[in-house]
Amino acid sequence: MKAFVVFAVLFVAVYAADDTCYKKFDGICSGTTAKSPLPVDLSTCTASYGHIDVVLRHLIGFANSHIVRSMEYLLMSTYYGNYQKNRAGFEKLFRDLSDAKWDHAIELIKHVTTRGGSMKFTPPDFLNTEEPNVYEGYEIQSIAKALDKEKQLALEAFKVHNEASRRTDGKHDPEISSYIEEEFVHHQAKNIRKLAGYVTDLKSMLSGPDGSLSLFLFDEYLKGQ
Amino acid sequence: MKAIVASTLLLCTFVLATGDLQCSHTEPLYLTNPRWDDMVDPCVNVMRKQIKTELNAAMQYLAMGAHFSKDVVNRPGFAKMFFESASEERQHAIKLISYLLMRGELVSDVSSLIDTRALFEKINWTKWESGLSALKNALTLEALVTKDIKNVIEVCEGHTNKKRQNQEEVNDYHLVDYLTGEFLEEQYKGQRDLAGKVSTLSKFMTDHGDLGEFLFDKKLLKGDL
Repeated sequence: MKAFVVFAVLFVAVYAADDTCYKKFDGICSGTTAKSPLPVDLSTCTASYGHIDVVLRHLIGFANSHIVRSMEYLLMSTYYGNYQKNRAGFEKLFRDLSDAKWDHAIELIKHVTTRGGSMKFTPPDFLNTEEPNVYEGYEIQSIAKALDKEKQLALEAFKVHNEASRRTDGKHDPEISSYIEEEFVHHQAKNIRKLAGYVTDLKSMLSGPDGSLSLFLFDEYLKGQ
Repeated sequence: MKAIVASTLLLCTFVLATGDLQCSHTEPLYLTNPRWDDMVDPCVNVMRKQIKTELNAAMQYLAMGAHFSKDVVNRPGFAKMFFESASEERQHAIKLISYLLMRGELVSDVSSLIDTRALFEKINWTKWESGLSALKNALTLEALVTKDIKNVIEVCEGHTNKKRQNQEEVNDYHLVDYLTGEFLEEQYKGQRDLAGKVSTLSKFMTDHGDLGEFLFDKKLLKGDL
């Protein structure tokens, strides 16, 4: 009985509100066989709800960042694949990163549309502020560069999460925060830790007498990862 | 180059305040006579351009996938197909890169291989009237890519060089064979597939527009077509 009352109250509340999707079709489809014109404004019949608009802007930016990073890692991978560098392990490391960013970009685009958004392909702002990237570097430099890029992406994920968690402003979107947590932040942390570890290893090995041999062996190690 | 040296020095001093870090190891350059890395500049340049073309196509397909994923469009089958095409185009770019690496190219000037900002600016279409119009668009896009590949073949066969005087005639047999046998083969098969889809869907559209597209979409989603 209680449940029924709650349900009835809810139903009345939804029914009474003017801005429901149902309302748009109410009266139009009321038992007459004659055709009626379609409602003009169907904005309440989209997939968006809550305060998704602001969050979407950040999510779209996040997707665009992934596209850019994917291309940058592809360039880094390419450089290590040439015969002079000849570092198949580094080539693989950056290629894997490039592939992962690309796949994530597609997943993010899909998620933007899941939440009723529309993807906009615009170059990320950091392209204006970052110094033009040079991908022909030395091994430790490239790892350092990748570490920086991964951290920047992780912080961007935090930003999206932050926008989705502003409960006090009434802007709360647990679906987005959970999505960011599950699909991004954990493996970002692992990636960052891995790259930081590589910097530590290379730093110590390169200061010894066996720099070139160390790089060779380290590259072999990366190949097996 | 100066920038690289400067940043290397900077990095080395930062990373290791104590002791010396040896980032670089002399890379001996051995030139054979005749050269083993025997690709000629016009051919390399047109290949580099083709890599950009393939990536531009990938971005265009991303935009198509994004459009058909929207709640107000709701054509997941089309979206799936276009996202897959996007990743395929990216793979083509990577295949071309791998080929150049195999032939001893891309040892320098790697950074300019991809212009990330331009990738965003070169997305020509972001909205489609119908699934059919997007399929037609995709077919046009493929035809353009095919035309560009044929141009690469012509340049690398030495055709364009012949026209200029005092230019050595160089026929890059292996690359031409690779492009003709593998790339063009894939292009023609892909185009035939798209053209077939355009025909089938067109036939529906005359009498059963929305229903036809709905059914076609579900078939695409299941991989029945």
